[in-house]
Amino acid sequence: MTATVVLPEVPSLGGLYARGAGLSLARRVRPGPTTLPDVDYVVRGVRASAEHLTGYQHLLGESASDALPAGFVHVLAFPVATALMVRPDFPLPLVGLVHLANRVTQLRPLALDDVLDVRATSADLRPHRSGTQVDLVTEVSADGAVAWRGVSTYLARGVHLAGSVDEPSASFVPPTPTGRWKLDGDVGRRYAAVSGDRNPIHLSALSAKALGFPRAIAHGMYTASRALADVGAQRGDAFEWSAEFVKPVLLPGTVTVRVARAADGFTFAGWDARSGKPHLTGSVTPLR
Amino acid sequence: MAQTTPTPTLQVRPAYVLGGNRIPFARAGGPYVRASNQDMLTAAIDGLVARYGLQGERIGEVAAGAVLKHSKDFNLTREAVLGSALSAETPAYDVQQACATGLETVVSLSNKIRLGQLESAIAGGVDSTSDAPIAVSNRLRRALLDLSRAKTVGQKLAAVSKIRPKDLAPSAPNTGEPRTHLSMGEHQALTTAQWEISQAAQDEVALASHQRLAAAYDSGFFDDLVTPFRSLTRDANLRADSSLEKLAKLKPAFGLGLDTPATMTAGNSTPLSDGASTVLLGSAEWAAEHDLVPLASVVDAEAGAVDFVHSDDGLLMAPAFAVPRLLARNGLTLDDLDYVEIHEAFAATVLTTLAAWESEEFGRTRLGLDGAFGTVDRAKLNVHGSSLAAGHPFAATGGRIIATISKELHRRKAESGSDRPVRALVSVCAAGGLGLTAILEAA
Repeated sequence: MTATVVLPEVPSLGGLYARGAGLSLARRVRPGPTTLPDVDYVVRGVRASAEHLTGYQHLLGESASDALPAGFVHVLAFPVATALMVRPDFPLPLVGLVHLANRVTQLRPLALDDVLDVRATSADLRPHRSGTQVDLVTEVSADGAVAWRGVSTYLARGVHLAGSVDEPSASFVPPTPTGRWKLDGDVGRRYAAVSGDRNPIHLSALSAKALGFPRAIAHGMYTASRALADVGAQRGDAFEWSAEFVKPVLLPGTVTVRVARAADGFTFAGWDARSGKPHLTGSVTPLR
Repeated sequence: MAQTTPTPTLQVRPAYVLGGNRIPFARAGGPYVRASNQDMLTAAIDGLVARYGLQGERIGEVAAGAVLKHSKDFNLTREAVLGSALSAETPAYDVQQACATGLETVVSLSNKIRLGQLESAIAGGVDSTSDAPIAVSNRLRRALLDLSRAKTVGQKLAAVSKIRPKDLAPSAPNTGEPRTHLSMGEHQALTTAQWEISQAAQDEVALASHQRLAAAYDSGFFDDLVTPFRSLTRDANLRADSSLEKLAKLKPAFGLGLDTPATMTAGNSTPLSDGASTVLLGSAEWAAEHDLVPLASVVDAEAGAVDFVHSDDGLLMAPAFAVPRLLARNGLTLDDLDYVEIHEAFAATVLTTLAAWESEEFGRTRLGLDGAFGTVDRAKLNVHGSSLAAGHPFAATGGRIIATISKELHRRKAESGSDRPVRALVSVCAAGGLGLTAILEAA
């Protein structure tokens, strides 16, 4: 039977990273478990603050309405999933995990005054061509009904479990652009300030170098949320928003983007105009 | 069955363009480098006052605007009126619709005249890219506002401590679209590539613009439309000796990163400019009382907008949609027009608009017509040159076009001596995917 751990409040990511770093170090010496813990983490009575919401909306280019952007709900809820990832019986090390993809289903809009319940669990531990991937599933409810569900897929490079993979990487042909994101060197620090995600790879060239990146990289969710903001109000109240993070965006940097109407909603892509290599691709599909 | 109250029929009367006045348009950093928007707008109004004997006159209303506007200029038009020779009892208001600002002032004021709310009006626009506002960064602005609200020393120190050295860098205005961060030229380059417009075709439009504007100056056409300012007597951007050879040698400026050839150069794009324009509007009665001859009536107008953010259409393509609606409402086709004025934001803007109208597919799928919307006879197009030659001080362009084409309409009508209506279409594209179009008829 699934165990439930109720936390008194949404934990701070900083503390979780510190704990995760210790555990990741230990993992190098002694391999961890090979299955996911059968546990849900729950935080009840979560409220957003207006100042936090406005800061997020201004940074991402959302209209500063009282509706919570789907990416903001992720910011509120995801630390609960992170708490689960730093349990000693979680099979993958937190440090070095790569955010591969993110899929959010917003069933109805959440607003500033809603009192939110967050439930996080992990699922589908599976092999990937360069390691092992896992889904962190977060559900946010208000008034007892789920309004928002996020599935964040993470990869642990070099951690191999039994099983085979067959995932040819799709080739990317840069389409006609519709816009451009000029990302300053401090975008990682600014998104860290609104998301609480102060992973050193996002904060400065120095701290990113220590972890093997030539410069700081943008948060994947920052880029996906910019794309969602570019789709704008036409996404409607209920939609599925998915993004695949292909290649990190080095900061400062320029991402050429296309956000365009498709048959059943919108597709988006961000790429490096010089190399033609994609940073992210995704879609926003209204639910009818 | 429900009783319906009959709607009283609205009485409208014609609103006329009675004249216009502008200062020559300068290139950014040129002779108007220290002139403010208020300086130039006042000069253009005073030139109009002198030309039409309006000293001390209480005009019904003056509407004007600027695209690049200082926050201190919240009442720019009223301040210009107060500084002008008009009666200080002349009301005024500011308008801002990007590059359509000038035309929108003409449309809204002439509608007020048509409704009988006004007897006379002055429409106008001004822009300076030389004296553009420089803003402080958002972070510095927030810190300074927090500081001004702080009551205790602790709060003040906290506000000041948020300021970082890089926050002190000023932010200058640019022509980038706020939602896409592409410049207007980059947006047009995408549309230019989509419609496969060649550099040669664009250079031909640019050359015709220079040649026609130069010919109009040489023939004295602008003698009663332009008042010299700061020693400038003609538009500084005008190159009467331009040639296709010279234009072809210019290096592409936009569309360099696309996988199609870059075709847009400084020669077939408008330069950043400084300048101001005004248009005198009035009822037939007011014109008669003031011994003024109506030049043309403002018949109708239609605004449009496109969703360029999600790649439905090019940024500057809104007029391609607004014009077919405008003409249909008035029972007209392109063939019923004697003149077509399409603002030359870029030569390619004119050509992509014409290409869309000539496209069977665009007509069917985007305009909902049976086929192509139609073809514009190039001999009717921008007959006295347009923005490529004159320059384009954003909000001043509408007034330049309206005054020029109204005079031309009146000239043609008088020359023909017949009752056949002589009509002009005016089309202006604007930032934000906007477009504004209007029909004028010779009086």
